[in-house]
Amino acid sequence: MCGIAGIHAYLDVSPRVDRGEIVRMNDRMKARGPDGSGLWVSDDGRTGFGHLRLAIIDLSEGGAQPMHASDGRLTITFNGEIYNYRELKADLQSKGRRFRSESDTEVLLQLYDEYGADMVRRLRGMFAFGLWDAGKRTLLLARDPLGIKPLYWADDGWTVRFASQAKALLAGGAVPRDPDPAGIVGFHLFGSVPEPFTVWRSIHTLPAGTTLTVDATGPGTPQPYYDVAAALTERATRASNGDARVQLAEAVRDSVRHHLVADVPVAVFLSAGLDSGALLGTMAGLGVRDITAVTLAFAEFKGLAQDEAPLAAEVAARYGARQIVRTVDRAEFERDLPALLDAMDLPTIDGINTWFVAKAAREAGIKVALSGLGADECFGGYPSFTDVPRSVHWLRPMSWLPGLGVLARHGLSAARAAGLGLHPKAPGVLQYGGDWAGAYLLRRGVYMPWELDEVLDRELVEEGLRRLAPLSRIAAALQAGAPLGDFDRVAALETALYMRNQLLRDADWAGMSHSIEIRVPYVDPFFLAALPPGEALAAMNAKDAVADVPPQPLPDSIRHRPKTGFSTPVGRWLREAAGTPSSGIDFSAASRDWALSVWRAGWAGPAAA
Amino acid sequence: MAARILALVGDCYGARGGIARYNQDLFEALAEGGTEIVILPRLGDAAGLALPQGVVQKSAIFSRLGFSLAAFGAAWRHRPIDVVFCGHVFMAPLAFAIARLLGARYWLQAHGTDVWKDRRAMARRMIERADLVSVVSRETRRILLAWVDLPPERARVLPDTVQDVFTPGQPPEGLRERLQLGRGPILLTVGRLAASERYKGHEAVFSVLGALRENHPDLVHVVAGDGDDRQRLEAAAAVLAPAGAVRFLGYVPDAELPDLYRQADLYVMPSTEEGFGIVYLEAAACGLRVVGGKGGGTADAIPDRVGVIVDPADRAALAAAILGELGKGRADPAAVEPYRRRHFAAAARALLARLLTQPRRIRSGI
Repeated sequence: MCGIAGIHAYLDVSPRVDRGEIVRMNDRMKARGPDGSGLWVSDDGRTGFGHLRLAIIDLSEGGAQPMHASDGRLTITFNGEIYNYRELKADLQSKGRRFRSESDTEVLLQLYDEYGADMVRRLRGMFAFGLWDAGKRTLLLARDPLGIKPLYWADDGWTVRFASQAKALLAGGAVPRDPDPAGIVGFHLFGSVPEPFTVWRSIHTLPAGTTLTVDATGPGTPQPYYDVAAALTERATRASNGDARVQLAEAVRDSVRHHLVADVPVAVFLSAGLDSGALLGTMAGLGVRDITAVTLAFAEFKGLAQDEAPLAAEVAARYGARQIVRTVDRAEFERDLPALLDAMDLPTIDGINTWFVAKAAREAGIKVALSGLGADECFGGYPSFTDVPRSVHWLRPMSWLPGLGVLARHGLSAARAAGLGLHPKAPGVLQYGGDWAGAYLLRRGVYMPWELDEVLDRELVEEGLRRLAPLSRIAAALQAGAPLGDFDRVAALETALYMRNQLLRDADWAGMSHSIEIRVPYVDPFFLAALPPGEALAAMNAKDAVADVPPQPLPDSIRHRPKTGFSTPVGRWLREAAGTPSSGIDFSAASRDWALSVWRAGWAGPAAA
Repeated sequence: MAARILALVGDCYGARGGIARYNQDLFEALAEGGTEIVILPRLGDAAGLALPQGVVQKSAIFSRLGFSLAAFGAAWRHRPIDVVFCGHVFMAPLAFAIARLLGARYWLQAHGTDVWKDRRAMARRMIERADLVSVVSRETRRILLAWVDLPPERARVLPDTVQDVFTPGQPPEGLRERLQLGRGPILLTVGRLAASERYKGHEAVFSVLGALRENHPDLVHVVAGDGDDRQRLEAAAAVLAPAGAVRFLGYVPDAELPDLYRQADLYVMPSTEEGFGIVYLEAAACGLRVVGGKGGGTADAIPDRVGVIVDPADRAALAAAILGELGKGRADPAAVEPYRRRHFAAAARALLARLLTQPRRIRSGI
């Protein structure tokens, strides 16, 4: 796991690569790779890569990067892990290829040499890389199918630049900071910035499951090679083979087994939920010994149902894991806040938990940990799996009456303004709730489109909404050719939007800030394809059935734990800091407060990077 | 089969000015690659000119309606057309309509102020529909992408190219005397003196000449070019500069420009709104060091090794830059090499090849 950066001057008039710029980009991402750094500039000075290394596979110098192959024709800078690299290597060796190192990086180079850009389809893992082919004079940028590892790029028309973090591109000094209304509006709508936008106009996210080839004319059209909705459609049309529960257990086992490939010990982030417990149980079932489990606790929750530590301790004990419970209080949160905002690569309302659990892991000397992230998306763990389809089925007939939704919204907004205690999103239910994209936006939105004028400049909102086109962007996540069932629709939305733009991006910056590689066995196209179809998952109640996946199932106490939902005391901390203590924890209001304070940290200003 | 382009342009062959020159360079480069080009201009007469093989220029039609009808007619007669090239954003609706009708790709060329200032919704929609937008500078691209929702990979930069006649060399005997330039260092500015182009920074230079003459008592500022702003500038020079420090040459034919550059000691034009600023490159190609102005596409036309860019509002900095650059002698013309025709032609042909590999518009027809 590492940090990558690169510059390629593709036009003849473009000045040579400035090594200092690569150094500055590397410096901004130092925490991503404390075990070594590398810098390479081609002989003609037109291409340069930087690399920061967190050594996990092949700890020797053989794994150092940027790495070359084929007499220096190919050069790569790579961030991530390829879990099936041994299989791929064996396949390449059978074709007569010889290897110099034990690293997965070299496998990537040889795989490219054999299959070209299409090689990305064979990779099982998380990755983002830049690969320079001096023979064809092309730069290939690629990102894993589901978006675990980030990759940002900027093109000024002469020179293209890329890096693992948007702030690293800014730190290089050559990329302008003009704000992007689409990304800013996107953050206020969704709580995270949707791909391919960032909050800076010149910096783009390379979307998950996409490659981008840069030739002498500059970057070409980004080429998607994986689509969640299409993958779920394919899964749905496949004949089911036997017992769905057995299939589920087999899929989890296979994914965890792949995610254990490492030359350092692999730990686990353990909450009181079933998903992380199932990971630990499966690891134990696979024969892994001396597992360390890290659990996060909040001082404010001590003795309450939200406290995860006691139940997590029970799970750890069952599988013989060493548990580390790390308690965070408001004072520590306030102490860490400046560093946390600095590490936050794009504005987001999440990532706090990951920041502290990764910090705890780092304190315990851990380098790699499995996380249950992604289970809710594939097993239907969110309320959206029931709310969104229900909303669409009930309200769709209403949407046939043109103008009714807008009328209702204006009426209810007025009622709300007059002091009627309505939820701020309630006025939009009729207007948005009748189709999939609208219902999803209602469910996931922080602010609703009609509320944005209250927190942002009107012109910026107009411009941002125009470019962002939020509803068609959401709907695009569902375009798979064949119609999907209800479960798969919500799974596709949550996986392609919330998980990708929010959870995975946050896991990356928050984990990497503490030099922790977070591995996510539930986020894996091979795993997704191996699961039973969505309808079968819904029928078996997969989110509970996962408790029976380990050979020794999870304890009953954790199965029957009342759902507390996701919560951190952040909202309360912020309110207390502002002198307005609140009684309960209203997640919606808390996330709005937090969103505003994150945004006010100054993203578009000169101090942004 | 060779690709065929229908080019709707303001002017091209038989016309003067930077955009006409750019269009000629572009079409010549593409024609050398085997592309056929039918040019329909609004101004300029190519009668009697030898055009490159594969290039045809129709008679100019200035009226909008006439031009539009002629464009449809030419498109129909010369079909199949692979690409409709549009040389100015104001003709974009026409170019788009023809491209749509013929199922051709639509290539829009923007130069600078045309897309910096015209921000009407119509222009925006027409730019957003282009398969390729080529611009001359990075700054123009940045400004364009700030208000137009265009995928970034579709906006490409193809910088101006410097003509082969601009090379270093000895100035002809007696030129200095003929122009009565005295014996001191010569600062040169070349460009139209148009009231609509007051951003070129002449007055800023006039106002620092007094200070410069403290170090170089015989220094003169030579202003080449003519236009409707000349009188005003002459008056300004009389007020701002010491007597005899500014020489207005009037219009200088293209053929005489290389010698003028060779005779000068420094090219000074602190312009703030150049779309590109080809004159900087022409001066550098003749071995002159360059002082340019902050803003616009200037940065793209001044390679690192040949000069500096200053904010003309900061007069002290301008004077310091001029003195500093004067002290450095001649520029290395090799720095201009990437702007030579060979590179330009390769880049232009690569751009067309890229456009042609994109699928044709699926929906064609009205």
